[in-house]
Amino acid sequence: MSDPVRTVDDTAIHDLGYRRYEGPRIGAVGAWRALYWQGLRSMFGLGRSAKAKIVPVFVMLITLLPTMAMLLALSLTKGASPIQYGVLIGGQLLMFVLFVAAQAPELFSRDQQHHVLPLLLTRAVSRTSYASARVLALFTAMFIVAFLPLLITYVGEIGMAVDPIATFEKMGARIWPMLAIATLTAAMLSGVGAALASWTPRRAFATAAIIGAFLVAAAVATGLDDLAGVEPRVAELVDPIRALRTLVLILFDEKTRGLELNPPAPVSVYVALELALGLVGAAITQWRIRTVTA
Amino acid sequence: MVIALDALTVAIQPGITGLVGANGAGKSTLVKILLGLVDPTSGTATVFGHDVVRDRDAIHALVGYMPEHDCLPPDMSATEFVSWLARCSGLPAAASRERAAEVLRHVGLFEERYRPMGGYSTGMAQRVKLAQALVHDPRLLILDEPTNGLDPAGRDEMLALIQRTGHDFGISVLVSSHLLGELERICDGFVLIENGRLLRAEGLGALTEATGTLVVEVDGDAAAFTVHLVRMGVRAQQDRERVLVSLPDTADEQALRLVYDIIRDAAVTDNVGVLRLERRRGHLEDLFL
Repeated sequence: MSDPVRTVDDTAIHDLGYRRYEGPRIGAVGAWRALYWQGLRSMFGLGRSAKAKIVPVFVMLITLLPTMAMLLALSLTKGASPIQYGVLIGGQLLMFVLFVAAQAPELFSRDQQHHVLPLLLTRAVSRTSYASARVLALFTAMFIVAFLPLLITYVGEIGMAVDPIATFEKMGARIWPMLAIATLTAAMLSGVGAALASWTPRRAFATAAIIGAFLVAAAVATGLDDLAGVEPRVAELVDPIRALRTLVLILFDEKTRGLELNPPAPVSVYVALELALGLVGAAITQWRIRTVTA
Repeated sequence: MVIALDALTVAIQPGITGLVGANGAGKSTLVKILLGLVDPTSGTATVFGHDVVRDRDAIHALVGYMPEHDCLPPDMSATEFVSWLARCSGLPAAASRERAAEVLRHVGLFEERYRPMGGYSTGMAQRVKLAQALVHDPRLLILDEPTNGLDPAGRDEMLALIQRTGHDFGISVLVSSHLLGELERICDGFVLIENGRLLRAEGLGALTEATGTLVVEVDGDAAAFTVHLVRMGVRAQQDRERVLVSLPDTADEQALRLVYDIIRDAAVTDNVGVLRLERRRGHLEDLFL
């Protein structure tokens, strides 16, 4: 203000700049939607730097490549070797774990790391709506990642068949186990991922914690049935990934030697386990976000 | 438990109000209670008549907050970030983009607003932080240490921007700082806190109005001059090269003029030069003494 030239300059800027906003305000609903969409987009690196796109693109490629290969094989053999959906998704579960480990911190740790939380919580965003928008964004992203390869295989298999209508009548009902598997996978992975990632503003820690949690669960399950002699069908309930893999085979009715040797637990047990992990994870996330200092 | 604020009672008037206190005095805690980010363990606070614990949503629609710390995700551009936060305030998507462009221009950010914020200077970052606080057109801005980390030129620009926003656009501003001097220039009122307790809360006028002390700076024997004045019935006191004269606490022009006359005559008789003769004004710094 001691410099008159500067003041004149500022006047030019401000007189152009500030106007009152008299338009509509859609409040908490609009805020929730903004949080959810921004979260979902950033899960796939959309609207983010090139570096943020590496993991999502890598995982999508890796999970879609076998799908494409199977479809190619199918078309070359003219449908002689039917696609095993259970084997297909069972082999991709580790990729989904990699995705959630890399991307869940994107949603939860990032806002804490850059201190964005206080800016959100002083707007039309409550702690509860923040947590629910973020958890649901993670769930949606995981559902897309898990469902897309199956859907492409399904559509491809029916579309490439000599008689698509007859093929659809034969395997059309397969859409239900596909949806069920994608939902359970997404619920379990997003619940566990969110619960762990929301505890730390350090993304590397969050990623390590998520991968570590699944590794430890797998090791404990193996230890229980190999060393402690616990029945495999009980032991595998400790490892949610292995439980999912078994559930996939049951749902698509694909017999393996392992399944015949060790009869699995009832389907409801696996469903309950995966859903419970998802819900408990979401609840832990809610609780954590309610108490985190903003 | 750490007590940040202890039995603090204060009402803040519209206009630009400075919240002043040393680091750790409880400024940020007070701000966070007003914003509903922290619950008070006891007592109540209201913003525009809304209770900070029960009516958070109503307050959040009316208040814009610029935090003290860094809060900009480095890989987002200012345009994206500010319009996203506008949507999080409940503005529709199209209006959010428009408002974001407007407020960023208002704070003086032009082409650089499309670049990732990680490459911004402190001055630019502070402008974005102010813009996001303004984007939903609040009635009250709460700015926590907005000049932190700025060089003197940046400091002046930020203060001018705050002053303009507060005075020309009818938005009340509560601005905290540990530097009194800079707030003195832009604020209408002050709240001073120390160790979580209220020191004083007044309008700027009340703090800096003319006091009843006349400062006489002399060239010559100040001691003899003081003795002379006291002998003439004036309440005078020597302060190194200066003589402090307590004026009679009266509005009577005649009585005041008499004191001035005595000082003039005494100076002539004692042969001392009067370098300066002025009513002492209150200074904000005095409050901390």
